[in-house]
Amino acid sequence: MDWIATAVNGALLGGLYGLFGLGLALVFGVMRVVNLAHGEFIVAGAYLGVYLVAALPQLPPWLMVLPVALAGYALGWGLQAGVVNRALQGGDLLRPLMLTFGLSVVLRNGMVQAFGADSRAIDGGELTRAGIDIAGLRIGLYPLLVLLLAAVLFAALHWLLKHSAFGRTVRATADLPEVARLMGVSPGRVFNRVMGLSIAFAMLAGFLLAQRTLFTPFSGVERMLIAFEVVILGGLGSFWGALAGGVVLGMAQLLGQKFDSNAGPLYAHGVFVATLLLLPRGLAGDRR
Amino acid sequence: MPDVSKPQDPLLLVDTVDVFHGDLQAVFGVSLQVQPGQALALIGANGAGKSTLLRAITGLTPPRRGSIRLAGQSLAGLPAERIAALGVALVPEGRQLFPSLSVEENLQMGSMAGRRGPWSLQRVYELFPVLQQMRTRPATRLSGGQQQMVAIGRALMANPRLLLCDELSLGLAPLVVEEIYRAFARIRGEGLAIVLVEQDVARACAVSDQMLCLLKGRSTLAGASNAVPREQLATAYFGE
Repeated sequence: MDWIATAVNGALLGGLYGLFGLGLALVFGVMRVVNLAHGEFIVAGAYLGVYLVAALPQLPPWLMVLPVALAGYALGWGLQAGVVNRALQGGDLLRPLMLTFGLSVVLRNGMVQAFGADSRAIDGGELTRAGIDIAGLRIGLYPLLVLLLAAVLFAALHWLLKHSAFGRTVRATADLPEVARLMGVSPGRVFNRVMGLSIAFAMLAGFLLAQRTLFTPFSGVERMLIAFEVVILGGLGSFWGALAGGVVLGMAQLLGQKFDSNAGPLYAHGVFVATLLLLPRGLAGDRR
Repeated sequence: MPDVSKPQDPLLLVDTVDVFHGDLQAVFGVSLQVQPGQALALIGANGAGKSTLLRAITGLTPPRRGSIRLAGQSLAGLPAERIAALGVALVPEGRQLFPSLSVEENLQMGSMAGRRGPWSLQRVYELFPVLQQMRTRPATRLSGGQQQMVAIGRALMANPRLLLCDELSLGLAPLVVEEIYRAFARIRGEGLAIVLVEQDVARACAVSDQMLCLLKGRSTLAGASNAVPREQLATAYFGE
């Protein structure tokens, strides 16, 4: 029974991991850029959450998801408009990679400078301690809500991309940016909004995770690794695959932790390698 | 934007442009002009610089020297997306449909520049009824001829003042080419200016008012399409 509860909790953690990967998959799918600073933005979301929760004690902590996501959108938009679009000119794939790598170093050390290297966490209040009993299993209410929120966000993004005029433009730009320009579409502006969404997802996920585990300015690397594994496990460019990948990783990590309390993440990485060997195209396959 | 057009301005004026592919020059000092309602055929062998000249007009490969004006307004320094919004649309060589989009979504992309005019989804479906039945299919699953119809419809959805067509008949069966050019005659009736690139010289001259022949990036012959002397054309097309 204990093992089942652990598996369920792992699946719930997976919703959060799926969110880590979602932004990374979106940016890669649309502009073929791997944002190496994605993990640092996840941590930045956590620090912004710490600040907001402390500054506004009269409001429930979960309400801060809105300002954190909005700040993420603005930050992503500005990052893309300010520097990444310039690095994309000329079509050299290495340039945006080096840019985001440098950015990750700057962000990481900037956060050490600003917040110190101590471990922090966000006290999410009553909500994070509440639980419900289902069929004899004790399930945390907060992880359940996070998984539901992740599913809603995945569905919303899916709808946006498949059925809105914005999504149509995003898909067309990802297909053939030059032809899209002939229709009056400025790829740079499309990319600004896509990066805005990506960083909004990253910072939101970072804020949510900070209410479960400790973090430091150096946590980004580890989060980035998870985000990468989620994207690759899910199959490049597949959003639902990313959610499934997150769930698989979350379960592997918690089950591994129960089995061997020192090395939970090791088991998650092991599952990642094993899945890649068995299904090299990821859980959802590659649609391209 | 101020209306800078004067009655004497041609809709499109290309004045001694040099266009480069990287370091390689593809077009040498070519000039042309097209009046509203007129069609100009650009003919020439492979590698003559026809497509490059069209790319220069769209702004995707701006000319290094010389000027291009649309109804009197210089296009120098404008990015392709701004030029599109001014009313220049291209039916690209090889059609270049968006593979992730359905037929209808491809057509809708054409209207992103937000220009008003006679063309709408409904009008395009009237022109090419077969597309209406296929509207939800992925555009790249259609036959070559139907894909070409989508590419033409997508350009028309922009309600352009100037329509650039690159090799409409490339890789299509003769019957399909007939159908495409029947539609082309109806499009001409709307009074927009057209620059048409075509390998088939006889066809190009039949559907246009003016022709311009390019050879290795240089203009070798220009004149009214219905009065081109044959021997002169052969020399202009193939060289001495």
